[in-house]
Amino acid sequence: MSRIKKILLGLLIVFIAIQFIQPARNKNGQVIATDISKIYSLPQSVQATLKTACYDCHSNNTNYLWYTNIQPVGWMMARHIKEGKEELNFSEFGSYSERRQLSKLRSIENSIKDGSMPISTYTIIHKNARLTKEEKAQIIDWAKIIRDSLANKN
Amino acid sequence: MLTIKIKTMKYFLLIAAISSTIFAACNNSNTTPSKGGSDSVQTKQETPASEAKSTTPVKDILAGYIQLKNALAGDNGNDAATAGKTIVDAFQKFDKSALTADQKKVYEDVEEDGREHAEHIGKNGGNIPHQREHFDMLSKDMYELVKTFGAGQSLYKDSCPMYNDGKGATWLSEVKEIKNPYLGKKMPTCGTVKEELK
Repeated sequence: MSRIKKILLGLLIVFIAIQFIQPARNKNGQVIATDISKIYSLPQSVQATLKTACYDCHSNNTNYLWYTNIQPVGWMMARHIKEGKEELNFSEFGSYSERRQLSKLRSIENSIKDGSMPISTYTIIHKNARLTKEEKAQIIDWAKIIRDSLANKN
Repeated sequence: MLTIKIKTMKYFLLIAAISSTIFAACNNSNTTPSKGGSDSVQTKQETPASEAKSTTPVKDILAGYIQLKNALAGDNGNDAATAGKTIVDAFQKFDKSALTADQKKVYEDVEEDGREHAEHIGKNGGNIPHQREHFDMLSKDMYELVKTFGAGQSLYKDSCPMYNDGKGATWLSEVKEIKNPYLGKKMPTCGTVKEELK
């Protein structure tokens, strides 16, 4: 066997071997009491947008596509989800302090406005996560309303 | 026979090498740096009571904040990032044991939020607008802390009406003259003193 063949064979074995290491799935399957939809009024259109464009990384329920079963894609995905949830988790929004909720809402507005979210590495594959102008405006308006109601409470 | 054995050995070594690199790479990215702080809490020296009187428990956080404010006023994202990290450190080293129940409540309410803003600022040395967004929110946290724990020095609450599409924003400054951290060198003197804190 030539050297290149050996290396290729080695890589193949590694590739097969890593398929057995599946990361834990981010799938809770239910809407818990701290979910944002349970504590704030969420227009259907906004909720639909959040679900398609944000929830994969920012909630306890990821909608997995087939290729996430292939490693190392699944691992990368798991890391993205972990980081995304640390930053903002819509499923646990109600457990944040009001101060933090305000900050998060403002960051939602800002990141939608400047286009940093949904992140481009995600929208490359998830075409329906590319937000239209209207969808963006709806999210921004909604976040503003919630923010004002929170601010007025204090 | 021996050569075959050696060859298979080589395969295994190769595979082991490749897989260990992959694992190492993945594991590295998973370890979060935020862990380290908990150790340093224990090793932190007790400040003598006499010294604690003349100063404020939020002294280190405030020092980092002032450093950050000045970096942003000079449009220096990297210095701002360094200051952001200093603030994260100060939050982690903060000694809650001497606080009253009410103080503790305020501190804990602010801490998570403030630390998060400081982390973002620390990670975004190349993105000053983003640092300023978080600085805006961090400033509110800092004001709350200073109001509760005292500033330990003279401090001014300043306001810039132009930032954030005319919605305005506030910040804290150690000097009376205005050095705007939101607009930087573009409009360094925009803003007014709203309140004097001690």
